[in-house]
Amino acid sequence: MGKKLSQVLEESGIPLNFQAGGTASGEVANREITREPGERAKKLRDLYFQTLSSATNEFPYWYTRKYRELDNEVPVVRRALALKTAFSHLTPVIYPGELLVMGKASYYRGSFPMPWLSEGYYMAREDELYQAALARGSASADEVSKFGAGGGNVTRDFGKVISIAGKFGMRREEVPAMLKVAREWVNKSVDDLGHKYEQMVPGYDIKEAIMRSVVCMFDSGYTLPQGREVINYYYPLQYGFDGLMAIAREKKADVAGKPGGDGMTGMNRLYNYEAVIHVLEGIQAWILNYAKEARRLESIEENPQQKREYGEIVECLDWIAHHQPRTFREALQLSWIIHIAVLNEDAISGLSPGRLGQVLSPWFEQDIESGGITEREVIELLECMRVKFTCIDCFASMGVVGGVLSGNTFNNLSIGGLTPDGKPACNRLETLILEASISCMTTQPTLTVLYDDKLPEDFLLKAIECVKTGTGYPAFVNNRVAVEFLMNHYRPEGMTLDEARSFAIGGCLETSPCSWMPLTLNGKKSMIPGGSGQPTSVGVHFISLPKILELTLFDGMDHRTGIRVFPAHEKKLDTFEELFNQVKAYFAKSVEVLSLTNNIQHDIWRKNNMAVFNSVLKPDCLEKGHLINELGYRYNATHNVEICAAINLVNSLAALKKIVYEDKIHSLDEMREAIRANFGFKNASEVGSFSLADQEKHDKDDRFDRIHHLCLTAPKYGNDDPYVDSILREWENWFCTMCYDFESLNARKYYSCQISVSTHAPMGAATLASPDGRLSGTTFADGSMSAYPGTDRKGPYALFTSATCWDHSKSQNSQMNFKVHPTAVRGVAGSRKLLELTRAYLRNGGFHIQYNVVDSRVLKDAQARPDQYRDLLVRVAGFTQYWVEIGKPIQDEVIARTEYERV
Amino acid sequence: MVSETLTHMDCRNYAPVDAAKGICHRTKQLVVADDHRCDAFTKLPKCKHCEHYLAGKELYTGICRAVKDTPMTYPDLAAVTCDWFQWNDRKPQK
Repeated sequence: MGKKLSQVLEESGIPLNFQAGGTASGEVANREITREPGERAKKLRDLYFQTLSSATNEFPYWYTRKYRELDNEVPVVRRALALKTAFSHLTPVIYPGELLVMGKASYYRGSFPMPWLSEGYYMAREDELYQAALARGSASADEVSKFGAGGGNVTRDFGKVISIAGKFGMRREEVPAMLKVAREWVNKSVDDLGHKYEQMVPGYDIKEAIMRSVVCMFDSGYTLPQGREVINYYYPLQYGFDGLMAIAREKKADVAGKPGGDGMTGMNRLYNYEAVIHVLEGIQAWILNYAKEARRLESIEENPQQKREYGEIVECLDWIAHHQPRTFREALQLSWIIHIAVLNEDAISGLSPGRLGQVLSPWFEQDIESGGITEREVIELLECMRVKFTCIDCFASMGVVGGVLSGNTFNNLSIGGLTPDGKPACNRLETLILEASISCMTTQPTLTVLYDDKLPEDFLLKAIECVKTGTGYPAFVNNRVAVEFLMNHYRPEGMTLDEARSFAIGGCLETSPCSWMPLTLNGKKSMIPGGSGQPTSVGVHFISLPKILELTLFDGMDHRTGIRVFPAHEKKLDTFEELFNQVKAYFAKSVEVLSLTNNIQHDIWRKNNMAVFNSVLKPDCLEKGHLINELGYRYNATHNVEICAAINLVNSLAALKKIVYEDKIHSLDEMREAIRANFGFKNASEVGSFSLADQEKHDKDDRFDRIHHLCLTAPKYGNDDPYVDSILREWENWFCTMCYDFESLNARKYYSCQISVSTHAPMGAATLASPDGRLSGTTFADGSMSAYPGTDRKGPYALFTSATCWDHSKSQNSQMNFKVHPTAVRGVAGSRKLLELTRAYLRNGGFHIQYNVVDSRVLKDAQARPDQYRDLLVRVAGFTQYWVEIGKPIQDEVIARTEYERV
Repeated sequence: MVSETLTHMDCRNYAPVDAAKGICHRTKQLVVADDHRCDAFTKLPKCKHCEHYLAGKELYTGICRAVKDTPMTYPDLAAVTCDWFQWNDRKPQK
C-alpha cells in the first residue's frame, strides 16, 4: 500500500492538522445536552427509526387516470381535476398514538413518483424493475427482519420489495402498474418536453457537455420545480377551506368573461379560480377520508384512552376540513395538512414552515390564557410535529436525492427576527419549539434563528442550549444582512422595510421574501408572517468552480471524460489576470447557456404542471386571480445562480498566483502535468476514502512531491491573509454583479446564491486534482465560507475576518459551518462563549453560521459501526441528517472538517 | 389470475408502515406484510376484491370495468376511497 498523504506531509514537517486551538482530550467526549422526548413522541420516533423509505403508486395512478380522461380540457383545470382525484383517493392511514395525523402517502415515511415531471430515471430501468417484480416470489424471513438496519434507505431489492432510485422501496405488486403509468408520460413529461425545446437554444451542445462533465449537476425544471421557499398557512387559517372556496366562487363570478384590461392573461382568471375550487375540494375530501378512518378506528378500539384520542381526531378533522381552527391543536394540525398538501402537489425540497411559532401564537396565547392547554401539552404536540416532519420524503432520482440532498427535505422553521416596527419578534411559543427540539432530536424541521442584537439574551441562550445537543440546529442568520439583500433585490417589486422584516429562511438558508398577513381570531387581530415569493430552488444550480478552473487550465477539455466542454480559449494564460478573466469567461458562458435551457424547462412546467394549491396560499394569487405561472405571487424575482466550492477556487487561484506567476517556481505546463498525474496519488474512488488525509500515493512516484508541497503550503483562505482574501473579494464582487446580467423566464433578474448542499461530494468526485493541493476525486470544501478542512490555522476570528472581506448582503446567502469539540463549549460559560462567537461573526457582517458540536472520534466510530449509531445526527450543510443515511464522501468530509478545541 | 393467499397487508386492521411491514390495530404490534393473516382478519377493499375488476394477461395488472373506458388498474390498489368499489363476493369477508 502506498503512503497516505498525512504520512507524506508529516515526513516533510508539515503535519495536516484537523484540530485547531489545542488537542482533543484523551477520552472521547459526548455531547453535553441530551434529553429524551415524552413517551408518545419517543414511540413515534422509534417507529421512524424502524421505517424504510417507501413509495406507492396510488397518487400517480389516480392523477394519470383522471388526466387521461380530460384530454383537451383547459390545462389548469385539467391539472386541478387530476390533483383533486388523486388527493381524494389517497388511502387514509392512522398510527396508534398519533395526535397529529395524515401523511404524504399511505406509509409512515411514504412518497410517490411524479412521472408528469420526469419518468426517465426509472423508465431507464423499466425492464430490470419489471423482471425484478416478477422474480421476487419468496420472502426470506431473515431478509425482511432487517428492519431499518443502516437507516431507512432501501438500496437493494429484498423479499417482495423492489428498490427504486436507490432509496425507495416499492411493493412488487405495484411495480408493473407504476411502469405502465410512467409510460403514459413518455414524451409528455416536463423532462421530455423541456428537453425537446431546450435543444433549440443556440449552444445547447455546451449544456450537454456541462452536465456530462459535472460542471453543473441539477436541472431544477423537472427534478424539483419548487422549493427552498416559505409556505404561507394564512388563508386556510383565516378563512377555512369553506371560506376560501366561497371567495373563489365569488371571484369566479366577478371575472367570468372579463379580461380586466389584460388581453393576454385576464381571461385566464376564470379558469384559475375554477381550478382552485377543484383542488380545495380534493384536499377537503382527503381530510374527511381521514376523519372517516379515525371514526372507524374509534369504533373498533378497546383501549379507552386510544378510543378517546381517535374521537378527538375525528372532531378536529371534521372541523378543520371546513372552518378556521378554534384551538392551538387544530391550527397545528391544519398547518401540517397544508404543508403536506403542497408537497403532494409537486416534487419539492425545501418547503419551509417559516416563522411557525409566530403564525400559531394567537391560538397558543388564547388557549394558554383560557386553560384549554398546558405548556407540557404544547411541547408534546410539537414533539409529535417534529416526528411528522422527519417522516417527509421526496421522491426524485438518485442523483438529486442522494447526490444533492443527502436524502434531506429541508423544512426550515425560523424563530426570532423582528416585527414590522422593528421590535424583537420571538415569543413564548418559539421557546417551547426550542424545548421540543432539544427533547425530540430529529432531522426535521431544522431551525434557524433570525439573529438581531435586539433579541433577548435568555432566548438566544436557549437556542445555544439546543445547538449543544449536537443536532446542528438552530443555525444563526443575520437579520440585518438578509433585510438589506431583500430591500436591494425586491425593491422593484415593491419591497418595503416593514415587509422585508417578515422574511424567513426557505430551504437550507435561502433568504426568502414573505409578507405580514392580518389574522383575526375571536375578534382579536394580529399580523402573522408567511411566504409571498416564488421558489428560490430554481435557476442555474450548481456550478462547480474548481471544475471551471480545471477547464480553463486545459483549454475547455474535460480529461476525466474526454469531452470538450467549452470552445478552446487558445490563450497562453501568461498572466494571473488573464487566467482569472478566462475563469470568469467560462463561468459566464455556463450561466448563459444554463439560464436559457432552465427558462425553457420551467416554462414547460408552468404551462402544464403549474402549482394551484401552493399558488392560492401565496399573496396575491387569490386577490388577482393569477397563479404562479402568471406571476400572481407578490415576489417573482427568485431565480438564481448557485455555486459550489468557491473556497477551493480561491485557494487554487492563490496557489497559481504564488507558485506560477509571482515566484515562478513552476510553469503552468508543469502544474498541468502534476494535476493530470494527481500529484502522484491514486484516485479517491480507488482508495475508498474521499478525505484528503487518507489519500494514498502510488509507490515510487516522487516526481510531483515538490510541486504538491508548494501547492499545499501556498496561502489559504481562512487565516486573515490579504493575499488570498483579496482574490475572494474580487470573485464575490464580480459574481454577485454578473448574475444581474441574466433574465429569468419571469423577466426578472437572476441573483447569486452560495450554498453547496451536498454537491461538494459528487462534484469533487468528478474533478481532477486542483492547484490548492486537493487530490482527484476528493470532496470539496463544504458550505461557501467554511475553510477547506485543516487549512484554517489561526483560530476562529481569523477565519471570520477572511469570510467577511466582502459584503454578504450582495448575495442571497453564504454559509459557514463550524465544528467544535463538546468540551470547548461545556457549561454555562461555554454557552456564553459560543453565543459571543456567533455575535462576533454576525456583527462583522457574516450572513450565516452553524455548529457541529461533536468529537470527531465519535463520527469515526460511527462510520465503523453504523448499527450502533442509528440516531446520531450531524450537521452537513444547511441541514441536519442521520449519520447512517449520509453517503461516505460526505461522511469523510464531515469527519475531516477542522475541529475547534477552544473558542 | 392472482392467487388468493391473503396476508396481513390485505387486512383492514393493518396500518402499513413501509413496503415490508405494518402495525396491527388490534395488537398494536409490528407485523410483516407478507405473513399469513390471523383470526382477526378483516378483508381490505382492494381492486382484486371488486366486482368491476378484471385481471389482465400481464401479472399484477388488470382493468376497471366500473367506467366506460375501462382504465388500467392493478389488483393490490386499495379501494377504501373508491366510490365504485363493490365486493366481488358481495360481503366483506372475515
